[in-house]
Amino acid sequence: MSKGAEEMEAISDSELALRLQAGSLEALGVLYDRHRGLVFRTALAITGDAEAAADLLHDVFLRLHRFAAHIDPRRPLEPWLYRMTTNLSYTWVKRRQRWFRPLEDVADWLAGTRKDTPAYQAEMDDSWRQVQQAVSSLPLSHRGVVVLYYVNDLSLQEISEILDIPVGTVKSRLHYGRQALKLSLGLLAGEIITDLQYEFT
Amino acid sequence: MDKKSDAYLRKMLKNWVKRQRPPENGRARLLWDAAHTSHHKIDLSVILLRPQFRSYSSSNDWPQTLFTWVNENSLQLGIQARVI
Repeated sequence: MSKGAEEMEAISDSELALRLQAGSLEALGVLYDRHRGLVFRTALAITGDAEAAADLLHDVFLRLHRFAAHIDPRRPLEPWLYRMTTNLSYTWVKRRQRWFRPLEDVADWLAGTRKDTPAYQAEMDDSWRQVQQAVSSLPLSHRGVVVLYYVNDLSLQEISEILDIPVGTVKSRLHYGRQALKLSLGLLAGEIITDLQYEFT
Repeated sequence: MDKKSDAYLRKMLKNWVKRQRPPENGRARLLWDAAHTSHHKIDLSVILLRPQFRSYSSSNDWPQTLFTWVNENSLQLGIQARVI
């Protein structure tokens, strides 16, 4: 890593936000490298689609650049990123449910590549598909809370501020989301998906 | 709350999302798009004092010179410009 790049790495988010407001693309690049993981993971967990998560990652940072003037550099940047990511992911899921899913199903049917065929099923690892389906079957509002809590390790208070909902609502959504997930994944009866165990060592 | 199954659920979800990684060319694509949508004002002196631009100035037709130069160079410099 060059000396200049090392210096940029040591700069705080607040300072980078100030430089971004002054038009520095280098600051945008450093912020992207620093936070792309959290944005991508969050978008992926909510949408269940890696391609969409990559596009949303791009959109979130493009908006950071575009709306840099409206960001308060004295406040932490992560809550802004989480808020933007969840909002854009929700919009993507709603739009897909409304328009694209029926079209995709027709296209798959016409092309003979329906997703319930053995050929398609073989493409995806069965256990992980089970996890993806369990998360995707949660109502969107519960899904966002579950993802921020379990995938991003945020506290109830932090989730409440990011999603702009009361802590009680976060608790309630988390409770129902957790119960639904455990039921789908067979965790309520103490059943463990054996294929996934080796990943946890 | 069953803490054991809760911890298991957390690990399972983390491992599920860890299987995919952000695209490798994401940063370059972002900076390219950001540069093309930038609303920051461009300091024209940076452009006008370039040697390429001064060579055009031997012409007496300044509006035409400016129009031609901007159109020829805006793409190369990665800026959005419009001469009315």
